Amino acid sequence: MGMLNLVLTNISRKPATRLYPFEIREPFKEFKGRIVFDPENCILCGLCQKKCPPDAITVTKADKTWELNLFRCIMCTECVNGCPKGCLSISNERAKTGAKEVIKIAVPIVDKPKAPKAAPSK
Amino acid sequence: MTTVIPFGPQHPVLPEPVSLKLEIDDDVVVGVLPSLGYVHRGLETFINTKDFNQTTYVCERICGICSALHGITYTRTVEKLFDTEIPERAQYIRVIVGELNRLHSHLLWLGLFADGFGFESLFYECWKYREEVLDVAERICGNRVIHSISKVGGVTRDLTKEHIDMLLKMCDSLETEIKNIEKVFVNNYTVKQRLVGLATLSKQVAYEVGTAGPTLRGSGNAIDVRETPDWDIYKDLGFKTAVEKDGDCYARTKVRITELLNSLTIIRNAISKMPEGEIEVRVKGFPTGEAIMRTEQPRGEVIYYVKGNGTKKLERLKVRTPTFANIPSLLLMLPGVKLADVPIVVLTIDPCVSCTER
Repeated sequence: MGMLNLVLTNISRKPATRLYPFEIREPFKEFKGRIVFDPENCILCGLCQKKCPPDAITVTKADKTWELNLFRCIMCTECVNGCPKGCLSISNERAKTGAKEVIKIAVPIVDKPKAPKAAPSK
Repeated sequence: MTTVIPFGPQHPVLPEPVSLKLEIDDDVVVGVLPSLGYVHRGLETFINTKDFNQTTYVCERICGICSALHGITYTRTVEKLFDTEIPERAQYIRVIVGELNRLHSHLLWLGLFADGFGFESLFYECWKYREEVLDVAERICGNRVIHSISKVGGVTRDLTKEHIDMLLKMCDSLETEIKNIEKVFVNNYTVKQRLVGLATLSKQVAYEVGTAGPTLRGSGNAIDVRETPDWDIYKDLGFKTAVEKDGDCYARTKVRITELLNSLTIIRNAISKMPEGEIEVRVKGFPTGEAIMRTEQPRGEVIYYVKGNGTKKLERLKVRTPTFANIPSLLLMLPGVKLADVPIVVLTIDPCVSCTER
C-alpha cells in the first residue's frame, strides 16, 4: 500500500531536478553573487584593503586605481560593511567564473587645489 | 595467517581521504592502523597573519559541512575573552542557523549512509530534502554552505518576517518528509539485517575512550553540550537529548533521525521566543588572556582554545574536533567486523577529515 502511494504521488509530481544550462533558476535577492564597485564616490582611503581577509583588494593611491582579485575573493562582504562612502555593494547576480582574474577600475578622483599658505605674520 | 588490505585514502564511500590499513584473517578484521594527514592545511598557524576579526572566516573554512558552527564557536570564544554579552536576538539567530547546519549535515550523512549499504533511491531522497534546507540557508545568510553569519559581537544579518515564514514552512514540510525516511531506516528488513548488532560499543567503553556526539549517545550516554551551562540558551527551547541504548550502527542511525526532529522543534520554539532588538554590539580593544569554549556540532563536541597577547592578532588557536575524538572508538569497533561491513562502520562515526587535520 505504501509503495502504491509513492508511485501515484511520483507520477503526479513535477521532476525534482531542472535541465540546468537551459533552465536557470532566478537568484534569491539575498544571495551574495558578486561585489559591485562604484568609483564615483571613492576617496581611495584603503579601508576595504585593510579589512579584506584574503587580501583580494588592492588600492593604489599613486595610480588612482582599485583592484579586485576574483580568484581570491571569498564573498565575506567585510569590505562592503567597512566602506565609509558606501561605494561597494553586493549584487545577487552570480559572477562569471574564470572570465578575468583581476578587475582593475580607475577612480576619477579630482585633486583638490592646495590651499595657499598663509603669509607669515609679521 | 593474516593479510593487510589498504582501505582508502580514495574509496567510493569516503568523501574525504583517510587511510586505514586493515589486518584481515579470512574475512574478518583483526587489527586496524589509521593514517591521517592528506588534507592538512596549517590553518592554526595561518591565523598568525590575520587579525581576530578576520580569523572568523578562516575558522569557517575548517569544515565545509559544519562551517557556521565553527564560526559560532570561535566568535563565542573571543566574546568570552572580551567578557562581552551579545544581544539575545543575535543568540537566537545563531541557534537557528546552527540547527539548519545540523539538519543539512545529518540529511547528507543519512544519504551517504544509505549509499554505503547500497540503497540508492533512499540516498537521492535524503539529498533532495537537504536541498530545501540549503535554499533556506541561502536566503537567510547569502550562501549555501559557508554561511558567514556570525561575527565577534553578534551576527551579520537579521531575520525578516519573510525569512521566518519560510523557516516555518520548511519545518512543516521537512517533518513529514523526515518521518517518511524514518520509516525506511527504522523498519526496512534489509536495512535492519545490515545494521542491527554491527560494531557494538558498550556504554562504559564509549565514555572512557572519549567518544563524542551521536556515537556516544547511541551507546546510552546522555551527554550533550546543549544541555550544559556552556550553551544554556537551549534550556528554554524544549530540547531533549536523543539517546539509544544498544550502541550498534542501527542505534546511531536512530539517534541522528531523532536529532533531526528535535532540530525542527528547536527552530520552531526559537522563532516563537525570539525578541526584537539589536543584533550586534561593538567590541573594542585587543584580546588578552586565554579562553575555552565548546559547542555541539552535528558530529559531536568541538572545543576551541584561544590565546591573545594584547595585539590585534591572536597568539594561539587550538581546535579539538569531534572526529578526532571518535577515531579511537572506531579502532575499537572495527575488530571482529566482516570486510564488507567496514565501509558502514567507518561511516557511522560520520568522519570529517578536513575538520580533524585543519
